[in-house]
Amino acid sequence: MVLDLTMSMAILALMGALATIAGCLEDLESDVGSQSNPNSQVQLAPQMGFLHRIYNKAVSGEPVSNGLSAVVAGTVTSVLLSQNYYSLTAIVIGAFVGAIILAIYATTSYAGRVASQARFKQPLYMDIMRYTTPTIMAHNFIMNFCLVAICYIQYEILGYPFTIPFLALIWGISAGAIGSSVGDVHYGGEREFQNREFGCGLNTALSGRIVRKAESGIRNSIDNVWFCAKFGGPVTGLALGLTVFFSSWPTTIWGYTWTAVGVGILIVLVFIILNRLLEISVRDAYGPYKEEKNEKEAKA
Amino acid sequence: MSDIKERSPNQLMAFGIFGGLIGIYLTLLLPLIGDIIGGPIADIIITIAPAFGALGGICAVMWGADAVRRVAKYGLGTGVPSIGQIAMGMGIIAATFGLAIVKTYIIAGPIVALVTASVIGFIIGWFAQNVIKMKIPVMIRCMTEIAAAGAIVIIGFSSAVAGNFEFNNIMLHVYDNGVMLAVFWVGAMAILHPFNACLGPDEKQKRLLYLAGSTGAITMAVIGIAAIMTLGTSGIITFLIGVVLWFIFYKKFWDEVYLDASSVVGTGLIPKTEA
Repeated sequence: MVLDLTMSMAILALMGALATIAGCLEDLESDVGSQSNPNSQVQLAPQMGFLHRIYNKAVSGEPVSNGLSAVVAGTVTSVLLSQNYYSLTAIVIGAFVGAIILAIYATTSYAGRVASQARFKQPLYMDIMRYTTPTIMAHNFIMNFCLVAICYIQYEILGYPFTIPFLALIWGISAGAIGSSVGDVHYGGEREFQNREFGCGLNTALSGRIVRKAESGIRNSIDNVWFCAKFGGPVTGLALGLTVFFSSWPTTIWGYTWTAVGVGILIVLVFIILNRLLEISVRDAYGPYKEEKNEKEAKA
Repeated sequence: MSDIKERSPNQLMAFGIFGGLIGIYLTLLLPLIGDIIGGPIADIIITIAPAFGALGGICAVMWGADAVRRVAKYGLGTGVPSIGQIAMGMGIIAATFGLAIVKTYIIAGPIVALVTASVIGFIIGWFAQNVIKMKIPVMIRCMTEIAAAGAIVIIGFSSAVAGNFEFNNIMLHVYDNGVMLAVFWVGAMAILHPFNACLGPDEKQKRLLYLAGSTGAITMAVIGIAAIMTLGTSGIITFLIGVVLWFIFYKKFWDEVYLDASSVVGTGLIPKTEA
């Protein structure tokens, strides 16, 4: 389909918005289940005697698990589209099936991991299982919906040569990779070790000694997602949304020309400079790593 | 632990190879038998034939999951997903090569693929052991097994979508429409997830094998949905058998969890510990 400039920009904006929502929800979904990086500390805690009421969703890393739910959603959507379903209905049903499959994997990993920690007396809390799993599903459903919608736009409107399951897998992996690199920091380093000084780094002796008390009562995974939704999730969404926007914007305006390539390189250079400025300002604000008193004594 | 009776690697290997190959070959043989018999029974036989490919795939998933367990027990925490992905990577290359190279002798395809996968797995295992020096005694054997299991998983689930394992047929029904990505990714998750989900000092083989059956059955159900697009009624049958098998294995897995877990409680405070 050939589109005029206004329409292509509208589609690009829509794709950017969908990617932003998908990225945000992807990160929050991984935080609900303590997946990816922070998972190692949740897994280690019972071994250190820190029993907890936090969900242990070990469905491999975020790129792999989001690739799974997205590719299932994409496949179901293309099956339904081949049966002449209305496109929106097909995407919704596909996203729902993807979320169900991920939720099944999530329940087995929580149950399996806790059962494999029997010697540390970690109990398997069924109430955690019952109210956290639907939360995971809900977040994952929205992510699947946004990603498959992007794939549908690319395949049907922009005329990409790849099929919907293929595009869905690539988008799922990308969303997972960005969520893992951008969003995890706000759950791993900050939330699990909230009782330590900000930016103190994770000493080996602290491994597994995660915070288990909440603002009120015992901390669970819903408390964690509440914290991450303030900054970690949205910033992940922005990262994915901007990636989609800036990578497609030059070709939308200038077409597949060398000018577009030049503008793309310019964007990368501007970001490198911005990152460097940010790094310098952070170093100025927080200074070099200060050693604690007992660390100095241990060295001496 | 020695006091718990476990299935030996050889038993599971035999189960994976023979179960897998029988399932895959039935997708080709049953329609031939159906043509000889004729009548309404033939229609039923021909319709259910593709589902056997997926059942063979489940056998291979259980074998592959156990092979992942044996190699990953040497402390490959974050390496478990990578092992699953490399299994399918080796499997898909070997499967495509094996099915494509036999032009007229279609029946030899899966066996050529199996042998190719074993060779690739052996080479990669040898490199991991002797060049990267990972010093894992079972590395070479397990990589060979994982690659072979990956190839059977790919061919099994592909033939459930395409109807049989004839190369052009698989190209048309599995590769062109992108269903191969679902076979690849969901199949990889099926092999890697059981050990990843049961990771821990009190991991038990029985629970892991039930979980492997459950993840394999999930793959079968997903593949069944995809097969509705290519085969119609056969896809619905594959999907339904997959859901029933999933329910059985999932229930068995939960029974084991209730037996193995320290305690399963509805709700409650955190028990007091020394920390």
